Amino acid sequence: MSFPGAGLAKGLAVTLRTMTRKTVTAQYPDAQPSLPPRSRGVIALLEENCTVCMLCARECPDWCIYIDSHKETLPAADPNARARTRNVLDRFAIDFSLCMYCGICIEVCPFDALFWSPEFEYAETDILELTHERDRLREWMWTVPVPPALDPAAEEPKEIASARKAADKLAAAAAAALEQGGDAQ
Amino acid sequence: MNLFDTVLRCVATLVVFLTLPLVIGQTEHKVMAHMQGRLGPMYAGGFHGWAQLIADGVKFAQKEDIVPAGADRRIFQLAPAVSLLPYLFVLLAIPVGPDGFVGQAIDAGLFFVLAVMGVGVIGKLMAGWASANKFSLLGGLRTAAQLMSYELPMVLAAASVAMAAGTLSLPGIVDAWQWYWIPWQIIGAFVFFTAGLAELQRPPFDMPVADSEIIFGAYTEYTGLRFALFLLSEYVGILVVSALTAVLFLGGWHGPLPDQLGWLWTLLKTFALAFVVIWLRVTYPRLREDQLMRFAWTVLIPLALVQLALTGIIKVAIS
Amino acid sequence: MSAAALLAATGPLDPAARSFLSPTGVEIVFLLVGIAVLGSAVVAVTTKQLVHAALWLVAALGGLAVEFLLLTAEFVAWVQVLIYLGSVVVLVLFGLMLTKAPIGRSPDADSKNRWVALVVALASAGTLVTLVVDAFRTSWIDLGAGGGSAAVTGASLFRTWVLPFEALSVLLLAALVGAIVLSRGAGRRVPAPRSGRIRAGRPVGSNGTVAQRAAAAPPAEAPETAPAEES
Ligand code: SF4
Ligand code: SF4
Repeated sequence: MSFPGAGLAKGLAVTLRTMTRKTVTAQYPDAQPSLPPRSRGVIALLEENCTVCMLCARECPDWCIYIDSHKETLPAADPNARARTRNVLDRFAIDFSLCMYCGICIEVCPFDALFWSPEFEYAETDILELTHERDRLREWMWTVPVPPALDPAAEEPKEIASARKAADKLAAAAAAALEQGGDAQ
Repeated sequence: MNLFDTVLRCVATLVVFLTLPLVIGQTEHKVMAHMQGRLGPMYAGGFHGWAQLIADGVKFAQKEDIVPAGADRRIFQLAPAVSLLPYLFVLLAIPVGPDGFVGQAIDAGLFFVLAVMGVGVIGKLMAGWASANKFSLLGGLRTAAQLMSYELPMVLAAASVAMAAGTLSLPGIVDAWQWYWIPWQIIGAFVFFTAGLAELQRPPFDMPVADSEIIFGAYTEYTGLRFALFLLSEYVGILVVSALTAVLFLGGWHGPLPDQLGWLWTLLKTFALAFVVIWLRVTYPRLREDQLMRFAWTVLIPLALVQLALTGIIKVAIS
Repeated sequence: MSAAALLAATGPLDPAARSFLSPTGVEIVFLLVGIAVLGSAVVAVTTKQLVHAALWLVAALGGLAVEFLLLTAEFVAWVQVLIYLGSVVVLVLFGLMLTKAPIGRSPDADSKNRWVALVVALASAGTLVTLVVDAFRTSWIDLGAGGGSAAVTGASLFRTWVLPFEALSVLLLAALVGAIVLSRGAGRRVPAPRSGRIRAGRPVGSNGTVAQRAAAAPPAEAPETAPAEES
């Protein structure tokens, strides 16, 4: 079935067919791209959650997270207790001209204070502007999408699993109590 | 032919020389893009980037005209003109429609066209040598080698048509054309078109300008307008080779429409062939230098000789 | 007989019917182009810049084509362009590039034979000029349009002059065969460097050393190269 030049003809057919198909180009500034969930655009900070544990700053391979804080002493609620101290965030900044979007800071934050946002249009004409201060990082929080739903076959999230276990136990206890009560009557 | 007529023909040829290559270039932008699943230029000029090449021209005109320090100044500067102008003269001789719809009917037009096209290559050689750059020199060498190998099959294929028509004049050849020439001269058409492609250094025969290994061959050192002139000469070359193939092998203005619309047929056939040129460029990878030479000497020349023999036999048989 | 055929094609011979003192435009152009051709030819042989010499040759040969055109020998003019400009000069340039002709002057581009060459050139030019002047004297050839068209040239070439034409082609064939025989060289064969394998102890691409050693000890190399050539 193969004749000389069949491969050449096949190549021509491929290019011709591609020409009649729709192109895959997305005309970006005119049409916004539809980014996949978990796109790494910019890092948002939910500063209410941050405890200034400094883990992110320490783990960042580029050392591009700047955190300043001071200690604040809270008056003791109970006269017998010691007065509590608490870290207060003064400055939280990420220099996106250095950041390599590895996501380590987000992974490492134990208090869910850092999130990926898919926003990516924050180019600047001055490199200094790429250091986003804490209010700017907080603003990005509004663009963080809800986490995507789990796969249908995925394992249950731990929180839900333990909550359900507890609920099941309670329900079982309640059912047993009901049964006992019924028997007693 | 009075003076006004002459001036009119020259101006018309000049206009064709300046516009149709741009049309082909724009077509190449778009066709190549779509064949690769892209869109190509979309912004310049508003509607599907129609003015992209004009914008490119403006950009080229603004660039600094640099002559390398070690270069041979005068030859370096002269080279683009030498490589471009011959095509202008060739366009003058290509018939578009019947009854003198041609810049200048030349008695030995076929010879004229082939001869003058060969001269353009000297421009590329000058550029390659005068740039004082090893890549350019290599490009020039390859250009020369390619020209010498592909000129022969091209002339042989053209000779076959001339034999069939019994004349060397291009309008005469088209006048003598019959539909059965297509099957009869098909081998010649293939050889001529392929050799023409090679002479233009179009992919897949673009070893002399292979950008991945010798940057841009003879044009490496050029910038600005001179570089644009070289590019223009490539696109005029596509126009010339397509038009010549259409005129010699596909019957020029012969077609179902009345003779007044013959020029439309010539244009249509020319652009169809130009499309094929672009199509081949997108589809095939570049031939290696030795494959290139082997293809010319072991495939094209024997094929051209077979076609020549075939033409002779049939010509004797039917006359 | 042959001259008569040629003249019949071009026009009547009419001795001294025209004055040479009132030139027409074509004649003036002819003369000017002739001077240009002569000038570029002289520069081509005297310039010290190799590639410039080849390019001046282009100018001279192109000018000659124009002269042919002015004499209405259209076909010959295009053949001149196709063969000389399109192929011979390209070949010359190719050769110059292969030998990496330098940009600028090459002081050694001189030959001890230049005086001999000058004498030979003058002698042959003298012979030709005497011959032509003696043959035509003051006769006037009226150049009608189409006198040198492909049809006329072909007819005279293949009817009148067919024997010299064929003799010339046999001569060219002999020259071709001779060139092939010469370029094949006698005796000493240098094995081509094989692709794909680097020989230990020798720098890659050092063809020269390989060739020298091969010449010194051909039997040792022969069995090595044989399979490579077969495959
Ligand atoms: S993404 Fe990586 S580089 Fe960027 S701030 Fe976080 S840890 Fe540092
Ligand atoms: S790791 Fe989280 S909680 Fe700790 S400093 Fe960084 S953002 Fe704040």
